[in-house]
Amino acid sequence: MKIILSIVREEWRYWMRSKLAVSVLLIAIILSCASVIVTVFNIQAATDERTHLQEEARNTFLNQPDRHPHRMVHYGHYLFRAPSPLAALDPGVDAYTGTSIFLEGHRQNSAMFSQQQQSAGLTRFVNLTPAFVIQVFAPLLLTLIGYSVITREKESRTLDNLLVQGLPPLAILTAKVAALFLAGIVVLMPLMLGSLATLFWGESLGMILSFWFAYLLYVGIWCLLITLVSCFVKQGNTSFSLSIGAWIILCVLLPRLSSSTASATVDAPGKLLIDFAVIQQMRKLGDGHNAADPAFEQLRKNVLAQYGADNIEDLPINFRGVVAKHSEAQLTEVLNTFAEERMQSELQQATVARLFGWLSPVIAIRSASHTLAGSGLETHHRFLREAERTRFDFVQSLNDVHAEKLTYDDDVNRNNSEEAGNRARVSSDNWQVLQDFHFTPDNPAERLSKSFPSLIQLMFWFLSLYFVSLFAGRKLI
Amino acid sequence: MSEFFTGLRREMRFACKQKTLLGLWLATLILSAFAVWTGLAEVSKQQRTISELLVADNNERESVLAEQSDFGLAAYYTFHLTYNPPSNLAFAALGERDTYPWKHRVRMLALEGQIYESDTPNPELAQAGRVDYAFVLSFLVPLFIILLLYDLQASERKANRFDLLTATATKPEQLWLLRILVRVSTLCFCLLLPLWVAMSFSGTNLSTQLIVSLLSLAYVLFWTILCAWIMTKDHEPPRLASTLMGIWLLLCAIIPVGGHLLIKQGVEGPNGGDVVLLQREAVNDAWDLSKQKTMSDFVTAHPEWKDHIEMKSQFEWKWYYAMQQVGDMKASELSYGYRNAIKRRDKLAGIVSLISPPMLVQRQLTRLAKTDAKAALRYEQEVRDYHTQLRHFYYPLLFKEQEFHPDKLNKLPEFISY
Repeated sequence: MKIILSIVREEWRYWMRSKLAVSVLLIAIILSCASVIVTVFNIQAATDERTHLQEEARNTFLNQPDRHPHRMVHYGHYLFRAPSPLAALDPGVDAYTGTSIFLEGHRQNSAMFSQQQQSAGLTRFVNLTPAFVIQVFAPLLLTLIGYSVITREKESRTLDNLLVQGLPPLAILTAKVAALFLAGIVVLMPLMLGSLATLFWGESLGMILSFWFAYLLYVGIWCLLITLVSCFVKQGNTSFSLSIGAWIILCVLLPRLSSSTASATVDAPGKLLIDFAVIQQMRKLGDGHNAADPAFEQLRKNVLAQYGADNIEDLPINFRGVVAKHSEAQLTEVLNTFAEERMQSELQQATVARLFGWLSPVIAIRSASHTLAGSGLETHHRFLREAERTRFDFVQSLNDVHAEKLTYDDDVNRNNSEEAGNRARVSSDNWQVLQDFHFTPDNPAERLSKSFPSLIQLMFWFLSLYFVSLFAGRKLI
Repeated sequence: MSEFFTGLRREMRFACKQKTLLGLWLATLILSAFAVWTGLAEVSKQQRTISELLVADNNERESVLAEQSDFGLAAYYTFHLTYNPPSNLAFAALGERDTYPWKHRVRMLALEGQIYESDTPNPELAQAGRVDYAFVLSFLVPLFIILLLYDLQASERKANRFDLLTATATKPEQLWLLRILVRVSTLCFCLLLPLWVAMSFSGTNLSTQLIVSLLSLAYVLFWTILCAWIMTKDHEPPRLASTLMGIWLLLCAIIPVGGHLLIKQGVEGPNGGDVVLLQREAVNDAWDLSKQKTMSDFVTAHPEWKDHIEMKSQFEWKWYYAMQQVGDMKASELSYGYRNAIKRRDKLAGIVSLISPPMLVQRQLTRLAKTDAKAALRYEQEVRDYHTQLRHFYYPLLFKEQEFHPDKLNKLPEFISY
């Protein structure tokens, strides 16, 4: 143990004397700190803005004047997706999906205004989020510091000295990995401290610890990989080229390859194409604005029978409202089937892409990190589902108001005169049907279980490299 | 001159015996071919989508129009497909086509409520990014050049051959120049070969082909000169390489991200959500305003209809569409500001890219391929123009209260993409 510590100290002394290692470490720390500060502020600002906008949207809805209830169905409502606390460190898909969604009757709109549109193309390939810095840049910087941890000793023939003194090769290897891992922790520190701060925004400690665990594992994988490369080759040049090559393949190429492959293998038709199929289905259902549509004949008979009336004029409720409610329910079923299909195909694509985590630890840590932070694709889908539920609830509540608080007679005559138009309104007290909407991340246990496959991939990488290094220790001699 | 060619042949022979070099060249060839192939696949997928949409859109409109008995309802229920087809260079730089919409179906209702809808692709895949030629050229090729050149001299120094080589060569500079030339020109060939094949396959015009090739060569030349300059320093080879990697990181990542942050702070534009909200409020308030107020707002923009704004009932289609246009008019200032902010950001990004060659080459490529923010804005303008045409088509039918006849809808304007 003492030996290991002294080798670690020696390694660090060497780095501190080397201009290169010091400057690389400095760059890494600056990048890491800057990314945490910038992203935490950005996400905080986004959270405040969206919560505020949500409040405002609700208030404008509630403050609408007396109106015909169906007008409020079309007036609609806005929902905003507030980021989860850990999204301050890994915003995930936040910038790539729209963050607000307009809810109205008879339609499911897509989320609008993705932030990526605001980036003027400069961040198409790189990002300054803590997650990206650790996932992509940290391995590069660790490579620049650590490519020669063993080749250097080989080239200057000091390795033989160490071995001759009777040092177990495995101890040397362990010490070198530990020294590099320490550097990794230094780079990781801002992210770890930053994630600790999310405790104040309601993140659970268990989640933060799992987040740390995933990233420590990831940094450990790279330290093992870099040391092993250095251990297996003779020259510094070769170990440098090989490590950089590994970085290009694992961090730059494979993530893109995974998404290209996923979109090539799983077909996900765009919204416009799906819309045609939706329209075809909906046409069969009849137009809910038109109570005389033959599609509602059966409904009419049922309602008349239920109330024992002969004509819709004699019903105690407004038949137009009944039709609106009935047709909204049918139509929503169709819309949900298609929306669900689309989400499933997106998930299938993501599943294919995530399989590449067996080939590259970056892909594994990326999906583990998303899922743990609650900023991944699944969370966005849940937002869409919850938004849809909110939409359906308020539209149907308004349709109830339409059926119960407005007489059929007033309703059909609403366009006859201005006065008749005023009669066909209901009091704005009825707008209170709108539920309050707060989007919260999945509970910790769920996030943990969803991130399990990616964590297993990380463990696989770590353990395989660990076993290789047990074997490599013997190889040193 | 013949001495030059013998030298070239000799260096080529040397190079072909080095596994690392062969590996790097092969990697470039494979990567470039893969990038070009996925680009072509994506573009043909987009073209297929457009042609499918065109057919479906036509059928849908015909079947909807067949059921209508009233111009107002016809305008309400018919959507029109607009699209921005990928250019014949789009495969090389897919650019912003993932972020900005390139297809919309619009109808006569207020346009501001429709134009921000986007058919976004899978966000998880979008986040990982794609491999296209622009990415390979601007990001990976510099790394390959660094790996090809960083130990050109230093490895000879290390093997104690450096002095021998410079002493025996008739012109030492020429020797290094030849080695660089062999390594880099083969790399260029491996990089450009798949691109040329793809460009001729997708019918890119010759001048564009030439410009793209020259652009790529100039970019390679920039990195070659940079490497050659750093390489001559007498340091450990990996230290040289690390310096070069640092420069790569600065140019490819730090400057763009820093620029992005500055631009984000510097350019204040209206929030997109505000545009939509304002438009929605305007259209909805109009239901509660007096109809004459909406109509008089409308005739300020369309004085030609001022004699036709009398209303006989509480609901008439001409009022309905006038109200939609007034909604657009009220939001137009914000909407203009929104687009203007995108334009200003793009312009500033252009200035930032002047100190970052990787960004510069990307911007040039996306400009040539018409896949940048400018092209997206231009498409948006085309959609706006088309929507105006639709209004000009329907207004005479609605305001002059013409008798409905399906034949009158045969002359519906068609969207033509440039």
